[in-house]
Amino acid sequence: MQMTVDLNRVGAKGAIAEAAEGKWGMSIDRDLCTGCQACVAACAMENNISFVGEEDAGYGRTQHWIRIERFWEGAYPNVKIAGGYQPMMCQQCGHAPCEPVCPVFATPHSDAEQLNLQVYNRCIGTRYCANNCPYQARSFNWRDYHTMPERGNMVNGKLVFPLHNQFNPDVTVRRRGVMEKCTFCIQRIHKAQDKAKSEGREVMDGEFAPACAQACPADAITFGRIDHKDSLVSQRSNEGRGVKHLEDLNTLPRVTYLKEG
Amino acid sequence: MSEKITRRNFLKLTTAGAATAAIMTGCGPASRYVTREPYVKMPEYTYNGLSTYYATTCRECAAGCGIIVRTMQGRAIKVEGNPQNPINLGKTCARGQATLHGLYNPDRVENPVRQGRSAPQLSTAQVSWDEAIQTVSDALSKTNASEVAFLMGTAPDHLFDLVSDLADAIGAPAPLRFSALSMFEAQATLSKAAEDLLGQAGLPFFDISNADVVVSFGANFLETWLSPVAYTRGYAKMRRSRPRTRGYMVHFETQMSQTAAKADEWIPLLPGTEGLVALALGKLVAQLKGISAPRAFASVNVQQVVETSGVSMEQLTRVAELIAESHAPLAIPGGQALGQSNGLAAAEAILALNALADNFGQPGGVLLSPLAPNSGAHRRPANAQEMSDLVAKMKSGKIKVLFIHGVNPLFELPQSFGFAEALHATPTVISFATFPDETALASDYIFPDHHGLESWGYQRSQTGVMQSVLSGSQPVVAPNYNTRATADVFIEAARLAGGKFAQALPFADEVEFIQSKIENLIARTDGSFIAPEINAFSAYFQQHGGWWASSAESDSLSAANALGKSLNVSSVAASIGENEFFFLPFVSPTLGEAGANKPWLQELPDPTTTVMWNTWVAMNPETARELGIENDDVVRIVSEAGSVEAPVYKYPAIHPNAVAMPFGQGHTAYGRFAAGRGANPTDVLAPSFNEAGDLAFAGMKVRIEKTGKQQPLSRLESRIGVYGEGMYEEK
Repeated sequence: MQMTVDLNRVGAKGAIAEAAEGKWGMSIDRDLCTGCQACVAACAMENNISFVGEEDAGYGRTQHWIRIERFWEGAYPNVKIAGGYQPMMCQQCGHAPCEPVCPVFATPHSDAEQLNLQVYNRCIGTRYCANNCPYQARSFNWRDYHTMPERGNMVNGKLVFPLHNQFNPDVTVRRRGVMEKCTFCIQRIHKAQDKAKSEGREVMDGEFAPACAQACPADAITFGRIDHKDSLVSQRSNEGRGVKHLEDLNTLPRVTYLKEG
Repeated sequence: MSEKITRRNFLKLTTAGAATAAIMTGCGPASRYVTREPYVKMPEYTYNGLSTYYATTCRECAAGCGIIVRTMQGRAIKVEGNPQNPINLGKTCARGQATLHGLYNPDRVENPVRQGRSAPQLSTAQVSWDEAIQTVSDALSKTNASEVAFLMGTAPDHLFDLVSDLADAIGAPAPLRFSALSMFEAQATLSKAAEDLLGQAGLPFFDISNADVVVSFGANFLETWLSPVAYTRGYAKMRRSRPRTRGYMVHFETQMSQTAAKADEWIPLLPGTEGLVALALGKLVAQLKGISAPRAFASVNVQQVVETSGVSMEQLTRVAELIAESHAPLAIPGGQALGQSNGLAAAEAILALNALADNFGQPGGVLLSPLAPNSGAHRRPANAQEMSDLVAKMKSGKIKVLFIHGVNPLFELPQSFGFAEALHATPTVISFATFPDETALASDYIFPDHHGLESWGYQRSQTGVMQSVLSGSQPVVAPNYNTRATADVFIEAARLAGGKFAQALPFADEVEFIQSKIENLIARTDGSFIAPEINAFSAYFQQHGGWWASSAESDSLSAANALGKSLNVSSVAASIGENEFFFLPFVSPTLGEAGANKPWLQELPDPTTTVMWNTWVAMNPETARELGIENDDVVRIVSEAGSVEAPVYKYPAIHPNAVAMPFGQGHTAYGRFAAGRGANPTDVLAPSFNEAGDLAFAGMKVRIEKTGKQQPLSRLESRIGVYGEGMYEEK
């Protein structure tokens, strides 16, 4: 029998900082995920993520902050998707391999939210972090996709981009040469915290959700405080089906996947 | 609209400032929109940095999901589900999320134009709206009413009602509605089978959430089928909402769809044998239950079914045992099973399985979807047969004027129907397209309608929820371009034509028409809100995003009728053509029928193949090996009706005797993100129909020719694929 040790409990390296409050986490039920891509579209719309076009997509330059993975198992006719669809995004590691390799501290760990941040105006595009991320959760802006001329219309001699009307003013629009990744919709966390603070209370469980969890038609994604044991996400994560990916790398991921069945 | 309250005063009266949906009522047409302002000049009623949210209805398909759109300074920023709307309870699908890429698409029809059939270019011959309305008015009043045809999409319903009323009053043929989705869902067949077995035409509601064994025959209810968000919720509840019971799901389909991939068992079978398999299951279940096989199932030879379908005896027995032992088994007929020459019989055989389980009208069974609050009988979209009849009428010159709204038949109807020639034979074609699609560009005029998020309207729920729901639309942003609501155009044109036309549509504008259609709901006390009079009622209607009955309806259905019927699924469905491979077109789960112009939908990987931005031919790797075909080799698929070329994707989960292709790409117009991309599988479909008049699309047989060309598919799964590495190793 394999022993599983909760590194957070035994106080392994990184776990002390993790014990601080404000620990946001997520559970994803692979039994429920239908692979419908609603989360992917919702994430793109919320976070001003650019599409890259067919050619760059073929080169693996897509900017999906969340993607749905599926792995085949077996051969026809007994073929199936092993374990069900698997949404994959930044795991907001407590002990993140991406953080120490950044030469300019563009990817620090925040004390306030206990998340892995990406500071766009510090990033110089070495891509070391993406190279070091075992979850392949980071994507790089290879071009100024948002302002590619073929996406605009010439109006009175000026290039206008109707698609820019949709941009979310709460989220930075990234330019070429910058790394980006899932932020757990930190703008929504802050908004909920500000609101709670102005009303003199704590943020309630389920008061808000990141764009992916909000859209998910199957309710497969749950978001909340994993340092509160009564929160829905804690209950789901601890119900017995929970698995953390690549846990043996001691990354202390914040996302718990719930097995099928 | 008699009261003259200015928008400003009205908003002072209500607290519509910040967080909830604003109420708008009592305003004239001009003040009904929130104006789009530059960021430096903000409308007075918005607070800096705070969003305004508007409830409206998604128009990406006909399901009628309620959405709440977050706006900032008159710009739509984000689509979120309306948590109150019973259809989707706050959730959305990917297509709903990407509707903003339609609203702010760089390729929209920005002005009314005299198009002059100058495809593939959008004409620059702008006309004024006065001219446009005069043109519509003349087309209506100077043509013999029987020679006018209206062709509409499946959304929005209010415009369909308005055009129906108009057509009825002037003696024109009733408007036809069509969409490729309803064609691939074989809605007419499902509706007819429901009429035969349940006693009422319409789309039955399959209560997946309370079932403990779901046997789906190609029903891709997690993708695009009928009301995908509602059925996905049903699926999630079926799996995990009950203590100690996790619903079990079996899916019969020739290729593994996204839905099949979520089943506990995917059982591939040959297309056209679904009805036989259902009958065999019925017979076996009856045996296991120790009852004599009802008449419906008595005549089937189980051994023969095993031989023709490719489903083994063990599999059949196991599924039969599952059904027999289950408390709430549910069998669902999907489009691929019904789009066959024997589709109606197959639909009835599959529904009869439910009768055998005695689950008609029961939780976890088959129920009658309640009718939407302001509708009469269920009016289904046109089947392929009716579209074919329309084409024949147009070709023979019996249609002088064709009005088209919300549908793109040049793309959505198979080429073999000859819609292009039919358009050619029709003297006047007026399109109300929002986007420059193929049909619009082949029209005489384009008088562009607003985008759905700039529009008023309502949409009825047809299935997916046991409540009677009318989802309401309101503009969340001011129109971006010089467009006009088609309902307003018809109302104005009718007024201009005078006489019976003006009498048919005696409304000041679209909003007054909508109010006339929801007026009768004021008297109802069983709904989501009550209001004393129409202005307050419409305000609530907008604020809540519609009106729905507050509790679920129940109905009592008898299974006797279904089981006593002798079902004649005597043989395998007739296949069309003599070729070797079955051809299976399916609606792309990410693009749907009209998503190709939304770039983020293009960049969503297909859930099963992870291909983006293009069309592929899914082929079993073993078949590909025999034919000497590798990934990305372009093949030509040839049938009696036509041919189409696309690169091969070696797909491990498809029957070796079949190839599958997604529908959604292959546009020659429809904007920069859609045009010239991929291929359209309907090009190889022949006009062959089943007993209910639906297209027998899943019975096509094709042959596969190599072209010697290669075209790398962009896929998410293989980041090194297009460099040529790691791709050709598996021999």
